[in-house]
Amino acid sequence: MNLNFKHEWVETNIGLMVVLTMLAISIGGLVEIAPLFFIDNTIEKVDGVRPYTPLEQRGRDIYQREGCYLCHSQMIRPFRDEKLRYGHYSLAAESQYDHPFQWGSKRTGPDLARVGGKYSNEWHVQHLTAPRSMVPESVMPNYPWLSKTPLDISDITDRMKALREVGVPYSLTDAEYKANVAKFGETVAKQLHIPNAQQSIVEQANFGNYDGDRSGISEMDALVAYLQVLGTMVDFNKYKDDTFVNDR
Amino acid sequence: MEILMWLSKPENAKPLGLVIFFVTFIGIVIYAYGSKQRSERLESRGNIPFLDDEEDTKDKQ
Amino acid sequence: MAVTTYSGAEQYNFEVVKKFAVMSLVWAVVGMFVGVYIASELAWPFLNFDSPYISFGRFRPVHTTSVIFGFGGSALFATSYYVVQRTCQTRLISDGMASFTFWGWMAVIALADVSYMLGYTQSREYAEMEWPIDILIEVVWVTYLILFVGTIMRRKQPHIYVANWFYLAFILATALLHTFNNLAVPINLFSMKSYSLFSGVQDAMTQWWYGHNAVGFFLTAAFLGMMYYFVPKQAGRPIYSYRLSIVHFWALAFMYMWVGAHHLHWTALPDWTSSLAAAFSILLLMPSWGGMINGIMTLSGAWDKLRTDPIMRFMIVALSFYGMSTFEGPMMSLKEVNALSHYTDWTVGHVHSGALGWVAMITFGSLYHMIPKLWATKMYSRKLIEWHFWLATIGIVLYIVAMWISGITQGLMWRAFDEFGNLQYSFVETVAAMHPFYAMRAIGGMFFLTGMLTMAFNIFMTIRQGKRENAALEGKLASKLAHA
Repeated sequence: MNLNFKHEWVETNIGLMVVLTMLAISIGGLVEIAPLFFIDNTIEKVDGVRPYTPLEQRGRDIYQREGCYLCHSQMIRPFRDEKLRYGHYSLAAESQYDHPFQWGSKRTGPDLARVGGKYSNEWHVQHLTAPRSMVPESVMPNYPWLSKTPLDISDITDRMKALREVGVPYSLTDAEYKANVAKFGETVAKQLHIPNAQQSIVEQANFGNYDGDRSGISEMDALVAYLQVLGTMVDFNKYKDDTFVNDR
Repeated sequence: MEILMWLSKPENAKPLGLVIFFVTFIGIVIYAYGSKQRSERLESRGNIPFLDDEEDTKDKQ
Repeated sequence: MAVTTYSGAEQYNFEVVKKFAVMSLVWAVVGMFVGVYIASELAWPFLNFDSPYISFGRFRPVHTTSVIFGFGGSALFATSYYVVQRTCQTRLISDGMASFTFWGWMAVIALADVSYMLGYTQSREYAEMEWPIDILIEVVWVTYLILFVGTIMRRKQPHIYVANWFYLAFILATALLHTFNNLAVPINLFSMKSYSLFSGVQDAMTQWWYGHNAVGFFLTAAFLGMMYYFVPKQAGRPIYSYRLSIVHFWALAFMYMWVGAHHLHWTALPDWTSSLAAAFSILLLMPSWGGMINGIMTLSGAWDKLRTDPIMRFMIVALSFYGMSTFEGPMMSLKEVNALSHYTDWTVGHVHSGALGWVAMITFGSLYHMIPKLWATKMYSRKLIEWHFWLATIGIVLYIVAMWISGITQGLMWRAFDEFGNLQYSFVETVAAMHPFYAMRAIGGMFFLTGMLTMAFNIFMTIRQGKRENAALEGKLASKLAHA
């Protein structure tokens, strides 16, 4: 070890400076991010969380496209007021298939992590089209184009394949399909099967009739289908109140 | 090998990391402020921006 | 060692500096106008005009990208090229590469803004650009790194001046952050759409590791680099303590990267991560204030400059806002405070006290110093600089006071209970309570924008004047030569 260290070496040697700076700036991220991928209890073990159906996923794409995340969070914190207002606090498991996450950082509007099932489809359609007709004090923009724009489902298999690449268990092969049947049940597994995607969208949209108009499938159908599933996958009645406390 | 195993445990690695970075930090502080001679040399570096002074634009007007 | 005289233009590549400096003002006007517009949308929602392209959710990234990467980024390119050449007393190693970074960066901002309005976004705050633009950024950034480091390697001065360390840390950190936060799989090669590689909690952590360090390195370290050159130059005296700059540089570079997770307090992110981040956020106060003290104390013994020199005033007020936001930040990273402040306008106010107060003000000061030198003239109007200063200051104060009140009010209303233990306010009642403050914020923004327009006009006239003087000078020279 050479004790004759001089900061001059660094100040006069750009290569050394680059290396030391990289070292200094890399450590924080490594220590905080890397373990999240390896530590077992980062994501809780709960039943019910499944990937989005193709229609819901398309709705999610539209949610992302319109920048909803800039005013609505999807992350309920463990406080009494949030429990009363929004419901059980959010679990990591609930966003495990969310590429990208939509936790948000600002509540200009309310949190939407558990908005599913709280309002009727009709309410959502009317509210999205003209928010102030339902809530006069709202500052949300109108989204009249959602009902008018037919949903593009031409590239749905591309989308699902990309999501499959990043780890969402959409099935492409028979073996994957069977694994999904075992994990999520047959009805869900069928919807997660990529070759069925277009058919699945049509069926779910017709059955759910989310936008109240049966003449075609609109972007409104997809967005409302997505909103209606938010936060509904985990049945918290099955768990005791303090089950998840240790995971936080 | 034994050292690596010892390092892999967070309860060992954390305080060790703390010590390493704290010592590094103290080292930098001592380096910067420790010797009067060095201090003078370091402070002279503050003049670099002025080495390059053209007579600016004044004489051009 | 007066190396440069009139041959400055040949010795240094000032062409690229000029281009970036001018475009920085253009993006500032665009970005701040969009900012005022979206602020107004929140106060008066009819301004969304039922148009998908300018609805708040699509327009907001246009604002953030134009001001952070358009205005701030261009100003950093301009000043870093200027500072590295002058403190190393050498020319940029390649004019072609310099020009490429300019056109590439302009393309990035323009494409990003248009693509957001068309609905293409990764929905990662301050990294909304979709994958093709991300690749372009990567190429431009690596070119920038090579150009910057290459120029330092060719320096005539053995020592690398401290401003360059900060610029270097900014370039390296941005490369690292950009690369890892934008890992995504496109749905096909002909589509703008992609899905991020990570999901849920890991994705959130990666994004806020990026998000906060975009603040730490893009909006802080780099602008400290700017400060370390332009404050001493404008004050006409060397930096207060060069030794302090060594200590606080390494502390800042090391500690910033730990603090991102304070954006995720009380979420599904494991507790240890956000607590660790909070601890480092508190520690970070020290290096941050090291920088502030170093900048402000540079003026010690010449305080009268604050009265007489409006450019100096921009710089010192910038440093004061830097000190204030770097105190407010650690406070907001405390879990108890964060429980109240998070998800409210307080965060928005905090960001703007840093962005308008620190980043924009230090940039204004530096550009007012640099631009007359580039065009070899003096500022067209000192009076207008004074005007700009007061318009900007009033604008910032209106803005952050409005956001403090609305943020704390809304945070308290959300958690208010009535005597029966029920929630006292419905959500929409808290929205209605925000209206006057949203209007006040928009007005504050208008002040700031007006100041910006004053600057743009002043600089435009300065450049025109510089060109005329130059032409006159050349005319004289030519006639002298003809007589000789």
